[in-house]
Amino acid sequence: MGKVLMKGNEVIAESAVHAGCKYFFGYPITPQSELVAYMARRLPEVGGLFLQAESEIAAINMVYGASSTGARVMTSSSSPGFSLKQEGISYLVGSELPAVICNIVRGGPGLGNIQPAQSDYFQVTKGGGHGDYHIPVLAPASLQEIVELIQDAFDIADRYRNPVIIMGDGMLGQMMEPVEFTERPVSELPEKNWAATGTRGDGGPKIITSLELDADGLEKRNQHLQKKFAEMKEKEVRYETYKTEDADYIIVAFGTVARIAMNAMNKARQDGVKVGLIRPISLWPFPEKPFIETRDKVNMYISVEMSAGQMVEDVRLAVNGHAPVDFFGRNGGVVPTQEEIYHKIMMIAGGIQV
Amino acid sequence: MNQKITILTGHFGSGKTEIAINLALKERKNFERVAINDLDVINPYFRSREVASIFKQHDIELIAPKDQLASSDLPIVSGEIYRVLHDPRYRIIIDAGGDKDGATALGQYYHEWKGLEVEMIFVLNANRPYVSTLEGAIHTIKEIEKASRLKITGIVNNSNIGSETTLEDIEKGFELSTFLSKKLEIPLLYTGISSHLEKTAAHFAENHEVMWIKRYMKLPWES
Repeated sequence: MGKVLMKGNEVIAESAVHAGCKYFFGYPITPQSELVAYMARRLPEVGGLFLQAESEIAAINMVYGASSTGARVMTSSSSPGFSLKQEGISYLVGSELPAVICNIVRGGPGLGNIQPAQSDYFQVTKGGGHGDYHIPVLAPASLQEIVELIQDAFDIADRYRNPVIIMGDGMLGQMMEPVEFTERPVSELPEKNWAATGTRGDGGPKIITSLELDADGLEKRNQHLQKKFAEMKEKEVRYETYKTEDADYIIVAFGTVARIAMNAMNKARQDGVKVGLIRPISLWPFPEKPFIETRDKVNMYISVEMSAGQMVEDVRLAVNGHAPVDFFGRNGGVVPTQEEIYHKIMMIAGGIQV
Repeated sequence: MNQKITILTGHFGSGKTEIAINLALKERKNFERVAINDLDVINPYFRSREVASIFKQHDIELIAPKDQLASSDLPIVSGEIYRVLHDPRYRIIIDAGGDKDGATALGQYYHEWKGLEVEMIFVLNANRPYVSTLEGAIHTIKEIEKASRLKITGIVNNSNIGSETTLEDIEKGFELSTFLSKKLEIPLLYTGISSHLEKTAAHFAENHEVMWIKRYMKLPWES
C-alpha cells in the first residue's frame, strides 16, 4: 500500500485498526467527529464493532467493559467530552485496564470554541480524574507520526495494564497529509491471563475492580501502581531535539506548535541567533534528559504553547533553576504564527528593541 | 464554458474548496460578478470562508455564514444565495461539503435550479480512502446524487497527496477518472494539478485538459 492523503482524525482511526483495535465506543464532538465517523464505517469491515454511545460517560464505561475482556479498545473526544470521561479513566487505572483515549483539544474552558488548542495539558498530564495516578500521554506532530504513536500507545497500554492518552489539537485532527501505513512486527507483550472471559473449570473467577475496602489493601494496590508508574517514567520517555548542541536559546514546543516553532528557529538561525528546539513527544513522562543535558549551557528556554502557559511548569521543574525559562503562548483557539515566535526569540536575544 | 452555476461535490478531503477558489478567481476574469457560496456544513476548518480576504481583494462575493456564525459548530448555510441565484449578471460557484452528508444541503434548492444552467461536478482524488476504487467512487456519486437531488454532469480528476504528489499519482487518478467517466457516461472535464508541479506535469498538460491549482488552504508552517 502506497501513500494516501488523509485527515488526522482518519489517520488516528486507521492506525488503531492497524494496531488491532476492534472496538470503538464514542460520541461525536467537533473537531474530532471524523474519527468517530471513520470508525463507524471501518470497524464493521474488519469484523469489529463500533457503537455510538449516548454520552461520553457511557462510552468510557463501555471501554471499561470491552477492555475487561482483553480486547484492544479505543475511545476519543475533544475537550468538553474528554472532561466527561475523567471518572471512567480513573476507574480504568484503578482496575488496571488498558485502553487508548484520544483528546483532540479545542479552545476552552467550558464550551469554548472548536478551534485548535493545547490547553488540556494540565488535565492530561496531571490526572484529570481522582486518585494517585499517571497516564502516559503521547503528542504527535505529524500525521505520519500518528501512525507510529497509536501503535506504541496500544503496546504501552497492554504492557502496563494502564490507559494511554493521545493528545493532539484540532488542527492535527483536521489537517491533511500523505501517510503510509507500514506494518511493523508485533511487540512482545504479556499474555492477558487476567481477562474476564469466563471460567472453563480452569481456576477461580477473574475479578476486575477498582474497589478495595481494606485500607492496607488499597495502600498495597497503590504501591503496586506507583511501581508501574516509576517503570513507565524510566522506559516510556519520548522526545526529539533539533539543533540543541550549540544553542544559546532553546524553544520547547510539542505537537503542531513545534512545526511552527521550527520555522521561527530556522529564521532566527539565519539571522545569527543560535536557537534549538526540544519537542516532547511523551508529555507524561515528561522528558527531563534533554534539559539536564543543556541547562548549564543555554541562556534561556522559551516554552511555546497554545495555552496560557501549562507545559512551562514542567519545563521549569526539568530546568530546576539552572537557567531562566520564558513563555510565549496564544490561546482560545488562536494559533501562534511563526512571525510572532520569531519576534519573541529576537526580543529575548536582544535583537529587537521595543 | 457558459454554465452559470457550478456546484462542486465529492468525497470529503478531495480538494473541492481549492478548486472552488481557483475557479472563482479564474472566472472573475470573464465575469463582472462572481459569487462563491460556501455550503460546507461538514468541515469545521479549512473552508472557503477562511480566505475571505482573498475574495475581497479580487472583488468576488463570498456567501457564507458571517461573523461568529462562520466558526460556529452549526450546520447552517447563508440565505443570501437567493439574492444572486436568479440574477443573470452572476457567475456562481457553490462549494458543497463532502459526501452525501455535505450534498444534503443542496437538496433544499431543488426547485431553484429549474430554468438555470447548473453544472454539477464530482471532484475525485483517487488517493483518498473509499474513493480509490471504481466501486467506491460510483457508490459515492450515487449517494451524492440521491442526497442532492441532482445528477453529476462532470468529473474532475484532482488526485494528489498534497506536497508529495508525483506525476504517477496524477496519472493513476486520471486512469480511474477515465474508467469512471466511461462507466457512468459522464464527461471527464479536466485534471486539477498543483501549480508547484507545473514542470513535472508539463507533458501531461500538453495532452490533457488541466487546471493549475494554487493552494490557499495552508497550514501555519507552510509559507
